[in-house]
Amino acid sequence: MDYIPATEKDIKEMLNLVGVSSINDLVREFIPAFRGKLNLPQPKSELELLGHMKGLAHTNKVLRCFIGAGAYNHYIPSAVSHLLARGDLYTGYTPYQAEMSQGTLQAIYEFQSFICLLTGMDVANASLYEGASALAEAALLSCSYTGRDHIFVKEGLHPQYLEVLQTYCEGSELTVTDKIDDKTACVIAQNPDFYGNIENMHYLAEQAHSAGALFTTCIIEPTSLAILEPPGKYGADIVAGEGQSFGIPLSFGGPYLGFIAVKDFLLKKLPGRICGMTTDSKGNRGFVLTFQAREQHIRRERATSNITTNQALMALAATIYLALMGRTGLTRVAKLSYARAHLLNGKLEKVGFRNLNIKPFYNEFVVKVPGSAEALTSRLLKKGILGGVNLAEDSLLICCTEMNSVQDIDDFVSAVAGD
Amino acid sequence: MLELKFTKEHEWVRIMDELAIIGISDFAQEQLGDIVSIELPKTGGVFRQGQTMAIVDSVKASSDIYAPISGEIVEVNEGLIEKPEVINQSPYDLGWIAKIKPSKMEEFESLMTREEYDRYIGQIK
Amino acid sequence: MKIIFEHEEENNTGHLQEEEDVSIELPSDIVRKEPLPIPNVNEVDVVRHYTNLSRMNFGVDIGFYPLGSCTMKYNPKVNEDAARAEGFSNLHPLSPEECTQGSLKLMWELKEYLKDITGMDDFSLQPSAGAQSELLGVMIAKAHFRSKGEKRTKAIIPDSAHGTNPATASICKLETITIPSDSRGNMDIGRYKELLSPEVALVMLTNPNTLGLFDENTTEISHLAHKNGTLMYCDGANMNALLGITRPGDQGFDMIHLNLHKTFSTPHGGGGPGAGVLGVKSFLAEYLPIPQVVKRDSRYSLDYASKKSVGRVRSFYGNFGMHVRAYSYIHSWGTQIRKVSEHAVLNANYLQGLLKDTFDLAYDRRCAHEFVLSSRRFGEKSALNIAKRLMDYGFHPPTIYFPLIVPEALMIEPTETESKETLDRFVLALKKIASELKEHPEIVKQAPLSTPVGRLDEVAAARRPNLRWRPSQRQTKVE
Repeated sequence: MDYIPATEKDIKEMLNLVGVSSINDLVREFIPAFRGKLNLPQPKSELELLGHMKGLAHTNKVLRCFIGAGAYNHYIPSAVSHLLARGDLYTGYTPYQAEMSQGTLQAIYEFQSFICLLTGMDVANASLYEGASALAEAALLSCSYTGRDHIFVKEGLHPQYLEVLQTYCEGSELTVTDKIDDKTACVIAQNPDFYGNIENMHYLAEQAHSAGALFTTCIIEPTSLAILEPPGKYGADIVAGEGQSFGIPLSFGGPYLGFIAVKDFLLKKLPGRICGMTTDSKGNRGFVLTFQAREQHIRRERATSNITTNQALMALAATIYLALMGRTGLTRVAKLSYARAHLLNGKLEKVGFRNLNIKPFYNEFVVKVPGSAEALTSRLLKKGILGGVNLAEDSLLICCTEMNSVQDIDDFVSAVAGD
Repeated sequence: MLELKFTKEHEWVRIMDELAIIGISDFAQEQLGDIVSIELPKTGGVFRQGQTMAIVDSVKASSDIYAPISGEIVEVNEGLIEKPEVINQSPYDLGWIAKIKPSKMEEFESLMTREEYDRYIGQIK
Repeated sequence: MKIIFEHEEENNTGHLQEEEDVSIELPSDIVRKEPLPIPNVNEVDVVRHYTNLSRMNFGVDIGFYPLGSCTMKYNPKVNEDAARAEGFSNLHPLSPEECTQGSLKLMWELKEYLKDITGMDDFSLQPSAGAQSELLGVMIAKAHFRSKGEKRTKAIIPDSAHGTNPATASICKLETITIPSDSRGNMDIGRYKELLSPEVALVMLTNPNTLGLFDENTTEISHLAHKNGTLMYCDGANMNALLGITRPGDQGFDMIHLNLHKTFSTPHGGGGPGAGVLGVKSFLAEYLPIPQVVKRDSRYSLDYASKKSVGRVRSFYGNFGMHVRAYSYIHSWGTQIRKVSEHAVLNANYLQGLLKDTFDLAYDRRCAHEFVLSSRRFGEKSALNIAKRLMDYGFHPPTIYFPLIVPEALMIEPTETESKETLDRFVLALKKIASELKEHPEIVKQAPLSTPVGRLDEVAAARRPNLRWRPSQRQTKVE
């Protein structure tokens, strides 16, 4: 395969103009010259390449999915991938030149709006890499705003998110602690938490604020926002999390979609790109990147964050998904996910499983299994079912979405009860 | 009119009732272009001469404002947060940035006079 | 154009059936009290809305996009098909290893290819973008010195560097020492020698640098750094100049990040997702994030064992969908990959040769895969005006006003996927604009005239921010 259009004749003319006799002469100062042979595969035609790639994909096994834990198997309307595949959208870059990028910019503005409407917050940015680093950015933002350097994390945060937070804190010389006091920059709580529990957050928000700290809600399964109280209403100053549930495929863990939204008073500290509405020289509505002076390409070592890109295409996927689903569709997704999880939980309780959730749950729940969780998941695997995440020897974290049909649920139950 | 003195970084200082009022020069605001936001210091903050005490942003640039004189911040011009363009419109008057209680008044004397500053910007233009 | 929220309420079933027996039994203090404030728009209108938005955009698929430092090369379509294969796109990241062998094999082999191409000993595919690789690199440097019982607090960065380098150093509490560029566009080696002290943890060098120039003192810079115990970090944003020609690992770099969305053709997506990956020499490999993909016998698995790892920088294993595309790209070129860089360099030098008399060359040297012109002879704001006018000729403008050390900078990176005919048309357009600037400057200053909107008021956008739609805005007048 070859994506170089230059002909032999072109090459000759170009070398002539540059005044060298060969390409080797052009790259002579790139030293030390590599003289070895790269240990790469043989070049492939498109036909061979696609065969090779599909072969690899086929080696993977995609099963009926009852796992969530930070990556959710929701239905993606066909129109999402068709629109994302438009070259004018996915082959452009960051809209530095606004007049040529109104499509991307307006979509970002719509994305920011959707995030604000769902979370009840004032402003959102154009997106971040993914949920865990978005949460870490929320912690950095809180420390920068409060001038404090301790982060309190409520039990129940996704363990990978906690690891990422600890890595960032180590790098930035901040501390993750287990108490709220006058050093606390921010109180972080995931809702629904890693185990699916939904909590009334008012109390924790008040506790954070009375210590002079900011309150951050982490949301990893955002379809829950269709039926749960929005964080803006219960005192969150920052909402950070993962938007993969909104029209983005599981794709073995990425690319996903980090989002962050804040109350107005934190606007100037918000990391990453922000799009704003304005007008052109004739008074027509248009969109631009704004508050760029906060960013690394201008402020360099004084920037609020080192973030450069957002996840524009993933934000676009989420925007299109939300537009297609609408109020009706998103509410149905949430209700169905909730209902299927509760249906499965009820059926499992009848065959000797015990629910371990300490609070009401949304679409994920923890059960104590009779016997070994590992033996159970491998039995499910044999039936083509991805049965949950083993949390301990005898407990399992299970997830349902609208994708798990009542038939799937019956198959799950008969597989675990079938001996 | 009370005497204005200037720094090489284009801040101005005026002493009034033993307080140093500071801002940025007309030349500086013109160079920066349309100012869109400002980060002000907290009152009670103590700065040494030459330390960064505020940051002004235009659309495509971000510039430090250095304390032209050492001392403690006693008041900042909060109105600039909502209307940073006042710095462009009235750099020597309504666009003042902060009032400092100087700890070393002699530093004021070492700053440039108006004539010296005009000559200075004549050279760098 | 309307924004999506301005569409009238329509019949929308949301792609799912209503189910009769679904009831939510949650305490009233945790449920949403007001209806979800997002609109119901019919699918036909949604599809038209975003299709029309896409027509207000410019991408590599439409035309020449010489945005310097961003490597806007053609994104092969076959890679998109590969990434969308069911086995990749629908695979849950927590599936057991027996279900994920295809993905793990791909990731393991991709690391092997990248090791070979860069001359490094190990790679992490976890970082989501170049900036996150940098963050990881600086964390690894800190961990390295901590384990040696040393506290180093400074980073040396040339003034031509990307802003992410100093921003990253400062987030990790390192003080940045900025070194000016010399008259040939290299980092000033004299100043470097003076400022290299035992407190310097790492030197962050982009090579070729943002001026499009290969630093002629690279080997000496590395040698001096190593003698001082300092690590060499390569910002590999410009790797598109070097494939198969020279290897950063052989130049003395201890770490390098690559932007798969630049050199390895994964689409830029309007600003992401990208993928940064970080390569290191063997003595730093134990600090790489967990998990690492490993191969034992013929089986692939995720290894969480490293005790010295700095941790994780994101959830799961990286932007896997981008790994698929980059892997597919490397397979398409295979052993011929050097041709990519050869043509990237040839195209850049050809353009530079044709334009150096119409504008001023920032540094009059052979360039690598890009070069920087200055339009200072046309006065203040000329780079901006030229950029806007280029749109009327159907081209995306180059990067402007970067690097900061060149006044009225136009940073041009043609990439290898452009034909001579396209480059010639671009030169013609720039020359025409240059004469317009002399004869009819008002046309250039009003440009662009052919885009969906004219020049936008960025000052108003920042002073009176409107960053989101509010239900109260519904009455806004629309064109």
